[in-house]
Amino acid sequence: MDEIRYKKILFDNEKILSRVNELGKKISSDYQGKELVILGVLKGSLFFFTDLARAIDLPLQLDMIAIGNIPDMTKSTGIVRITKDVDINITGKHVIVVEDIIRTGLTTAYLLQTLEARKPASIEVCTLLYNPERQLIDLPVKYYGFEVDRSWLIGYGMDSGEYGRNLPFIAELEH
Amino acid sequence: MSIITISRQMGSLGDEVAKALSSKLGWDLITRDLLMERFFPDIRPDQRTRLGESAKFYLSEYKDGKTFKDTLSESLLSMAEESSAVLLGFGSQLLFSASDKAIHVRIVASDDVRLSRVQKQFHLSETAASELLSSTDRKHKRFVSHVFGKDSTDVSLYHLVLNTSFMSVDECVAAILAAFHEHELRIRISSETKTEGAIDHQTDRPVFKNPSEAEFAKILDMYHIDWKYEPKTFPVEWDSEGNVTLAFSPDFYLTRFDTYLELTTMNQKYVTKKNRKLKKVKELYPGISIKIVYKKDFLELAERLKAFGSPDPGNGQEK
Repeated sequence: MDEIRYKKILFDNEKILSRVNELGKKISSDYQGKELVILGVLKGSLFFFTDLARAIDLPLQLDMIAIGNIPDMTKSTGIVRITKDVDINITGKHVIVVEDIIRTGLTTAYLLQTLEARKPASIEVCTLLYNPERQLIDLPVKYYGFEVDRSWLIGYGMDSGEYGRNLPFIAELEH
Repeated sequence: MSIITISRQMGSLGDEVAKALSSKLGWDLITRDLLMERFFPDIRPDQRTRLGESAKFYLSEYKDGKTFKDTLSESLLSMAEESSAVLLGFGSQLLFSASDKAIHVRIVASDDVRLSRVQKQFHLSETAASELLSSTDRKHKRFVSHVFGKDSTDVSLYHLVLNTSFMSVDECVAAILAAFHEHELRIRISSETKTEGAIDHQTDRPVFKNPSEAEFAKILDMYHIDWKYEPKTFPVEWDSEGNVTLAFSPDFYLTRFDTYLELTTMNQKYVTKKNRKLKKVKELYPGISIKIVYKKDFLELAERLKAFGSPDPGNGQEK
């Protein structure tokens, strides 16, 4: 790929980091004295996750989780599965799942269903970008960075055909 | 609270099924002996013997003008208000026949299998075991027939009839648990908005009205999200005689997320109409969560479904 074409920058790096710091402060005060685990969902939340983790001023454990599309040989469709599981024990701990973006919420719903079975003390969602109007399932989104509309986005972890994740800002794609 | 009743033939392993089931659920197992201790604490030994021998004796007076049967029924029904239990035998399927919180199971086995089990268990000759089986069968049947006026072998009294000639105790327990959980879910969905007038048609056979619905069901399956198809209808307008003139039947109910979903894959004109209907449902049935799946989201999700099976399923924009 020669260059990544996008329409306009929606959130520049400064704006993103300032909001991430606000979220970090809020989480630090909400989880004071609690055993906190933050789980980043690969790959989209990668940069948000690392910036957020460093903005939280608490002792915490962190891990990453990845969801993949595994073809099901018995059907023409396939199913969603965890391809990189959490390595640390989350039972009895307070968990925050960190996402880059939530739209319909189906992927996150699957993830929460799976994590809830491990009996954490609590489980909440923190997403950088959020479109509540498109959400089909009510999720425990306790923290979010910015509301977005239906546009296709790129940068700060989000990709188009695996390119563009390393852009320091978030831009609207030409689609 | 919930009740599972187990009626069983002698030699059918019904007792073992009931025991395993109650321990799996963590519920009390209520047997005849326990009933006697709990509900008839002051019973005389001769009365206890007669209850064991004669079904008719259940219809005689216990105390305060009440028969043994009345006392038994009342005590069991009030117990069921307080805690969930597995009830073994004594015609309990008939005491709870009208309750939608109860499921009734009968455990049977073929005569040959029962005969060989009873022979082994009591070290009996084939003739003696056969006599014991037929006299016990008669006694069970007589009890239910005298006390409740019903035939305990009538399969229409039960939600499930399981045959241990073909199934192990563990298989029976798994089947009962699966039936119980599905039944409990259906009753919950059915009762949630009953008072506001919603119509329950979960026992209808689900048939997708169009290919989009079938496709959406596949999308939900892909995400391991449990669903029921069109379990309910919510009337929203009535004429002066109280007949329903406008109603809304959301396409899907997501059981774990307590949310109804309605698909709109048609043009904007109908979507506006649907949105109006939805607003009315929300006013008339407060507390239920209904969301619309718009055409664009549906198409994007369907696209993702198609991408499955390929090594690169897309760019992760659809979350």
